[in-house]
Amino acid sequence: MTEKKPPTLEEFRARAALTGLPLTTEDIEHLHKGYAGLIALMERIPTRWAWAAEPPHVFRADE
Amino acid sequence: MSNRASELTTLSIAEAGSLMARGELTATALAEAFLARIAAVDHKIASFVTLTADRAQAAARQADMEMSQGLTRGPLHGIPIGLKDIYETEGVLTTGHSHLRADYVPSVDAETVRRLKAGGAVILGKLATHEFANGAMTPDQPFPPARNPWNTDYQPGGSSSGSGAAVAAALCMGAMGSDTGGSIRNPAGFCATAGIKPTYGLVSRCGIFPLSFSFDTAGPLAWTVEDNALMLDVLAGYDPNDQASAKAPKVDYGASTHRPIKGMRIALARTWYEGNLTADMAKGMDEAVHVLRDQGAVVEEVVFPDIWDYHICGRVVITVEAHAIHRQEVIETPEKFGYTTRRRFQLGAFLSAEQYLSAVRFRRKLQVDTRAAMRGYDLIMAPNQWGPPEIFEEPQEIFHFLGKPSLSMPFNVTGQPALTVCCGFGSDGLPLAFQLGGRPFDEASVFAAGAAYERATPWRLRRPTL
Repeated sequence: MTEKKPPTLEEFRARAALTGLPLTTEDIEHLHKGYAGLIALMERIPTRWAWAAEPPHVFRADE
Repeated sequence: MSNRASELTTLSIAEAGSLMARGELTATALAEAFLARIAAVDHKIASFVTLTADRAQAAARQADMEMSQGLTRGPLHGIPIGLKDIYETEGVLTTGHSHLRADYVPSVDAETVRRLKAGGAVILGKLATHEFANGAMTPDQPFPPARNPWNTDYQPGGSSSGSGAAVAAALCMGAMGSDTGGSIRNPAGFCATAGIKPTYGLVSRCGIFPLSFSFDTAGPLAWTVEDNALMLDVLAGYDPNDQASAKAPKVDYGASTHRPIKGMRIALARTWYEGNLTADMAKGMDEAVHVLRDQGAVVEEVVFPDIWDYHICGRVVITVEAHAIHRQEVIETPEKFGYTTRRRFQLGAFLSAEQYLSAVRFRRKLQVDTRAAMRGYDLIMAPNQWGPPEIFEEPQEIFHFLGKPSLSMPFNVTGQPALTVCCGFGSDGLPLAFQLGGRPFDEASVFAAGAAYERATPWRLRRPTL
C-alpha cells in the first residue's frame, strides 16, 4: 500500500473535505479512527505486484 | 400452543416433507402451527419485521390442493420459510431494516424467492437483519433488533439476525440469509442452527439488496444440515440476470447428506485459532474433531495463510464496494442511516483505487495459496466463532473489524462453500459451532461431513425455551 503512516486528524479532515460527503465533526473523528486502524492492518497486503498481475475481475467481451 | 402444534414446529423439513407425502400432515396445519407460534413468542425475540399470514395461508392451501391431486413440487412443497428482509418480494414490503426503504414494495420477486415459490414453499414473512446486511443493530432503526432465543440478553449474531433467531426458535423451518463476510454463518453459529454459504456464483443474488458485489452470496439457514441441503436443491442454478452466476452441474444435495465419510480427508486450520478460543469453544472444536475421526474421516493439521490476511483483504474490498453502492444516499440522506451503518458506508470514500486493486490482487493470491494448502484434502475445518455472541445491550463497535479477525472471512475471500454446524453448548448454555469449507462447487462433501457429524451427536435434540 502506498500509505504507510496514518494521517493526523488534521490531515484526515482536509482529505474528508475532498470526498464529497457531508460529514459531521463526530463522523470525521470516528472515520479517522477507523481509517487509521484499517491502514495498520493493510500493511499485510503486499505493496509490489508484477505489473501484469491482473486482478480477478476479468472483463470478458463475449458476455 | 397445543402439544401437537409444538411438535409440528420442531419437525425438520425432511420429516415434514415425508409426513405430507404420506398424507399424514397438511401444509395448512403446518402453516397454522407456525403462525400461532410466531404470535405467541416472537415478541420476545423480534425476528419477524413483516408477517405475510394471508399469503402464507393461501400458499399452504394451494400446496395441499396440489399434493392431494398428486402434484409434488419437491422437498420444499408446503414448507414454511422466512426471508431476510433484503430479499425483494413482489407486493410485500422489503426494507433492508432501514428507514431508507421503509416504504419500498417491489413489483418482482428476487430470483431465489421465485425459485422457492415455484418449489411450493410457504413464505411466512420477512426477517430482521442488520441494516442493509452491514450495519450493527442500533436503536435508530425502524424495527427492534432481533434477540438470541437461547438467551435474550444476547444478540443472535448477524447480519442475518432474524433468520438465525427464527429458525432456532422454531418460527419457520428454513430461512434465507446472505453472507458477504460471514452473515449466514455468524447467526447460524450463535443460534445453533445449520447454515451454508454456498460457493460464490451457485445461488442467484438477483433481487437481493447488494452489499459488496464480488463477495455477496445468498444461502439458507435451517435446523439440520440435511434441511440446508434440501433448500439448496431448490435454490441452486444458473441465472443470466446475475453477473456472477455460474453454470455448475446439477447436484442432488439432499442425497449427499447420506454419503458415508469414511476416508474423507479434512484439513484442520488450527493456526487460525490456536490459543484464542474461549475454553468452551476450544473443547467443542476438539470434540468435533474426535467425532469426525470416529466417523472414519482423516483429520490432519494443515497450515493455511494467516487468518488476518483473509480478514483485511475482505474488509478492504467490502468497505470500498459497499461505499460505491450506497454513496449517493450517504451523500444525500446520511441521517436516514443508522449511526453505525452510515460510518461503515462512509469509510470507503477514503480508500484509493490502488488500495482496492491491491486487495483484489491479494484476494487472488490467497485463493491460490489456499487451494495449494488444501491439495490432497476434501474439506477445511475451523471454528465458527471465537466464543459467545455479543451482549444485547452493548452496542457493537462502529468499526468492529479492528478487533479480532473474522473466522468466516477466509471462505468469502476464496469463494469456497462453508457450512456452519452446531457442536454443543458452553457452560453458559450458549451454542458452539464449527465450519466445514469445501472445494468450489463441492457442497456435496461439505453436507456429507456435516450431516454425519449431526447424526453422531445429540445437539439437534435441544431447542431454546421461550
